Amino acid sequence: MMRRFPQIAPPLIALAILLVAWELGVRYGFLKPYQFPPVSRIASGFVELSTIGFPTGVSIWSHTLTTLVRVLLGYVGALALAIPLGVVIGSFQVLDKLTAPLVVFCRSVATLSLLPLVIVWFGAGELTKVFLIGYGCFWVMLSNVIAGVRYVDPVLVRAARTFGLHGGELFRRVVLPAALPRIFAGARMALGVGFMVIVGAEMIGTIEGLGALIMEARTFYRSEITIIGMLIIGVIGFAISAGLTALERLLLPWAGNLDAVRR
Amino acid sequence: MLDHDNLARCALRRSEAPVAKRTTSPFLQFIAINSVGKTFAARTGSSISVLDCVDLTIAENEFVSFVGRSGCGKTTLLNIIAGLEDATQGQITIAGRPVTGPGQGQGVVFQQHALFPWLTAVDNVAFGFRKSGLNKTDRRQKAMDLLTLVGLEAAASKYPREMSGGMQQRVSIARALALDPQILLMDEPFGALDELTRIELQHELLRIWEAQRKTVVFVTHSINEALMLSDRIVLLAPNPGRIKRVFDVDLPRPRSRTEPRFNALYEEIWDELST
Repeated sequence: MMRRFPQIAPPLIALAILLVAWELGVRYGFLKPYQFPPVSRIASGFVELSTIGFPTGVSIWSHTLTTLVRVLLGYVGALALAIPLGVVIGSFQVLDKLTAPLVVFCRSVATLSLLPLVIVWFGAGELTKVFLIGYGCFWVMLSNVIAGVRYVDPVLVRAARTFGLHGGELFRRVVLPAALPRIFAGARMALGVGFMVIVGAEMIGTIEGLGALIMEARTFYRSEITIIGMLIIGVIGFAISAGLTALERLLLPWAGNLDAVRR
Repeated sequence: MLDHDNLARCALRRSEAPVAKRTTSPFLQFIAINSVGKTFAARTGSSISVLDCVDLTIAENEFVSFVGRSGCGKTTLLNIIAGLEDATQGQITIAGRPVTGPGQGQGVVFQQHALFPWLTAVDNVAFGFRKSGLNKTDRRQKAMDLLTLVGLEAAASKYPREMSGGMQQRVSIARALALDPQILLMDEPFGALDELTRIELQHELLRIWEAQRKTVVFVTHSINEALMLSDRIVLLAPNPGRIKRVFDVDLPRPRSRTEPRFNALYEEIWDELST
């Protein structure tokens, strides 16, 4: 612990200096507070948000909870569809070749560009938001599951064949476990996409959720609230990602050489 | 299955350029490779001949090495014996039964360790007992015995990524032995190891071979390695892959690299390889 302290000290000191300079810059009129809200304002904004709420009555915690539920619904739904479908597509070369252009195309379409169309389909309610998040997560997850199942080291398959494994048993005992690290990597990437989509998805038809909070703050020139929203999304994303990494360490202790994929 | 044109062509080839004495004794024909050829369809519509008219018999408990340059088809031939690839001409029999796939008494050790990364050393070896009908406890017990045989009982609970290259290949050998194979097929198993580990594992392999009495077919780039280990060395030549000459290594074991006869054989093989 003592040894690590000096390593984290310099960036902390740098950050502190930056924040103090920022604060002073606003106090002495060099920076406009609605363009660069200082720390003191962000702090008081946070107190306001967690007591009175913004808009009045909707606290920061209820915004957070709303967003979290939407992201998780879309995310879990996308995973539940993408994993079995990806396993099937990845198992048959024909299916992979047939669907590859579609998967690449759909994954490349910026999810939020679908917003107008999805509103036409599902209205401006909950379903639209969950659908958009799900859409973003789904294609990222699907392409990773397909790749994981499809590109299993052929020497492992050969080895398994020398022990008399074939067909379903080969698939269950060798192909699936070999694909798991890639599937986990896909799950982590998809989560990132989910949080990227949420702000846009909450722009319309709601006053609840962190995305709505950020947009609403803009209307009232409350830039410090935008920053609070950003920070909370960042913290949640970081926490869930760390949770997934921990889960992977627990479930796949053998895949320790995948640190590069992990980020 | 019997392609008479191919057989006749190969018989003619044999009479023109005999590479070794042929035996008809079934005892000495534990593995019989009869006029085996392998051609791939190339993209241009022509075909590439990887192996052509390979005739060889290997006796039970014999240690035979395939030596040759890259592209001479030695790994392909090993894979055909393993049942992992099909011959396009000819046939291979093991103890009189034609090879139709893996799992007919062939254990394989690959160049790269092909251990399952999600299984520990002992579970990788136990994987080899899957089809043995033993229950889980017995499988693990037998796997531990094999790990002890290769000197790795202490590393039983390690995952492949936690082991050195030499340890990984030891586990690979133990896993192949789990099938209790009559034949151990090894495709450059020590090729990726450092010199010291390689020599260590060569000694280990000879010890296991002598204790367990297996027939071993061993692919290697190294003439030295082949001379240290084998009863016979089969030299293959490329374009198309074929047997060029078979050498009997009439040296008592344990062998020494400094023996004059060892070096004479080395020179002889090297000459044949470079002409």
